[in-house]
Amino acid sequence: MNMRKLLRSLLAPCVAASLLVAVAPSPAQQNAGATPVGDAERGRQLFSDTYNCYACHGFDAQTGERRLVPMNYPVEGFVTFVQHSPLPQMPSFPDASAQTLADIWTYLKTIPVDAPPLKDLPLLQDVLARKNQAASAR
Amino acid sequence: MAKRSDSDATPSVDRRKFLTGAAASAAGAASTLVSGVAEAQQAAPSARPAVARPTDADARKDFVPPEPRGAPFIDHPGSDHMVDVFKAFDFDYVAVNPGSAFEGIHESLINHGGNRKPEIITVMHEEAGAAMAHGYAKAAGKPMMTLMHGTVGLLHASMGLFQAWCDRVPVFGVVGTPRIPTSVINRPHSAQDMGALVRDFMKMDDEPTRLDVFASIAMRAYTIGRTPPMGPTLLVVDTELQEAAIPNGMSLPIPKLTLPSVPQGETGAVREAAQWLVGAERPLIRPGKLARTPAGWDLLLQLAELLQAPVDVGTYGSWQDFPSWHALYGSGGADYKPDVILGLELNDMVPSVRQTHATGGKTISICAEYLSQGHNIHDYGNYTDVDLAIAADAEATLPSLIEEIRRQSPRDASRGRTARGAAIAAAHKTIREREIDDARYGWNSNPISVPRMVSELGRQIQKDDWAIVSGHQFTGQWQRRLLNHDKHYRYNGDCGGFGIGYDTPASVGGALAHKAHGRLPIGIVGDGDFNFVGPGALWTAAHHKIPLLLIIHNNRAYHAEVMLVQRTAARRGRGNDKVDIGNVIRDPAPDYAKIAQGYGVYAEGPISDPNALAPALERALARVRAGEPALLDVVSQPR
Repeated sequence: MNMRKLLRSLLAPCVAASLLVAVAPSPAQQNAGATPVGDAERGRQLFSDTYNCYACHGFDAQTGERRLVPMNYPVEGFVTFVQHSPLPQMPSFPDASAQTLADIWTYLKTIPVDAPPLKDLPLLQDVLARKNQAASAR
Repeated sequence: MAKRSDSDATPSVDRRKFLTGAAASAAGAASTLVSGVAEAQQAAPSARPAVARPTDADARKDFVPPEPRGAPFIDHPGSDHMVDVFKAFDFDYVAVNPGSAFEGIHESLINHGGNRKPEIITVMHEEAGAAMAHGYAKAAGKPMMTLMHGTVGLLHASMGLFQAWCDRVPVFGVVGTPRIPTSVINRPHSAQDMGALVRDFMKMDDEPTRLDVFASIAMRAYTIGRTPPMGPTLLVVDTELQEAAIPNGMSLPIPKLTLPSVPQGETGAVREAAQWLVGAERPLIRPGKLARTPAGWDLLLQLAELLQAPVDVGTYGSWQDFPSWHALYGSGGADYKPDVILGLELNDMVPSVRQTHATGGKTISICAEYLSQGHNIHDYGNYTDVDLAIAADAEATLPSLIEEIRRQSPRDASRGRTARGAAIAAAHKTIREREIDDARYGWNSNPISVPRMVSELGRQIQKDDWAIVSGHQFTGQWQRRLLNHDKHYRYNGDCGGFGIGYDTPASVGGALAHKAHGRLPIGIVGDGDFNFVGPGALWTAAHHKIPLLLIIHNNRAYHAEVMLVQRTAARRGRGNDKVDIGNVIRDPAPDYAKIAQGYGVYAEGPISDPNALAPALERALARVRAGEPALLDVVSQPR
């Protein structure tokens, strides 16, 4: 099972479990399904300084393993995933409150995606073309 | 951006004046010392202590090695014979950081051997010398020699020798030792059992005690080191033996060098392996340290294309074994569930066994590791209950395996295999496109993303005959994704022992091997790695005019360890705000371009703007193509 499928399969039951987290419901949770209310600036500090998330995910959260931008998962799933990571390479952070993680999630949502379309990147287009050519040469 | 200016290369102090000044200062200092001693002696109480104090002469005798004056003239020293033996191994180079325990060999290399075959490569740390020999051996396909001082030099080299051991690479080590130490200086450089210091990770060590056995013991060390599973070997050479005069008329024959043929798999077992592979619906090949020579690369290609089986080189495959842009490069896609996995020199078959046993499949292992008794280090891996284990060198066994598969294959086998190959190629094409899609993210990030860095490099070396001489441990899979490793020598592999400090000196060693072929060597090394023995290794490249582009993947931290401390702190509920302590390389951030310039190497950096990278690469590559080393300090994203 690849990472994305694993994540999806884990997130479905976890969404419900996350609502049982023994902390005060965050604004994000109260607005589950709608745009969550988190503090993006606090989230930035948490991402960069407190939790040092950048060490694996990149300074802009989109160059590392795994890429967090664009953040396509709902806040509830994000909270549960980070608190109880099912992946061996990702630590669990059970002491991170739902509000803290909602702030990080909100910050991640504010980071603009820096991924120009392939048609605007001749360098990568060329790599892909040469890769396909090398593969079909056999 | 900083560049070296020509004026920097001109010494500001005239050499003769510098020496004169130094001599005058030394003379002044010496007279002060003598004067001080004299005053102290005059001030001593008249009652002498029970034990007589050493005189100046005694102290001098103890601290300074014996004067050579008066020693008999040696017309034909034992070290000349040793150098003759080394020449029989066709060594091109010997790494040397000078030491008084091998001054005899050193002198013979220069004057008797003419500093050719082997030529001395001056290194600034013995670990760098061992790592250079390690990187050289993988790129050249034959060992390099490294010469070390007793105890201190050997201990410095021990980490480099350890990596070579873990990587199953032959390095020919020679350590000098004063068997009968004569001064307080060389006593610590002598040992009762010198080889014991590194024996846990040497394939063999021995100390010839007579000149008439030196050649045969050296031959044995050389041939054992090169016989799979290969590894470093060590000769311990006494200083007195180096200085011993060879009597006129005494014959010291050097035996003919005969490398043993490499063990091949037993016929019946190979036949059974072929039967399983022919009958498999979804075979998968997993090579480890397979391609000892270019022939191994070609044979694996033949096998994969014959079977139309995917080739999974793994995350940290230590040697490059398969073209990274080939249609069969990969694990077959997410839906490919192998029913037979063939491990070729794959030390750890545990994941493969788990994978196949879960689906009722089978595993085959052809591996020379079965012939290794293992030592103290746990690098030999766990016992794994594969279904067929063949104790043999995989590269040497591949011809008979391929032949047997051809013989057993039904006439219409190619039809099914072609269909399988097409399905695998389609799955891999989807993966290729996804990987290129991933490379777009952070394209304009500052600091520079790793895929941007590798892509920019790839664009500029397309027309060169390039070779990556560093590992790829810290750049993820981006090198294999974005650079076409279409030849055996394109990639020189990782360190073997997962120890930091290998990449920079090993890059210099690999570049030294490629110099003879006019190739363009490139090392992409982490800042953490560079800071071990990297600067001195750069000087070696400058001094010996070894062309090499060294790119510092400068993420200013030991980021792998950040996550480990994070995990531990999180598990203990202690917060994560301090996990950068002890893990970052900043405040101040080292300026690697200035460091390199200080060692006489063209350098630019720090470069964190992605748009500044391409022109910097162009300038640096021009230097390398002209035959000199160059360094680019690229400030990069953590991953």
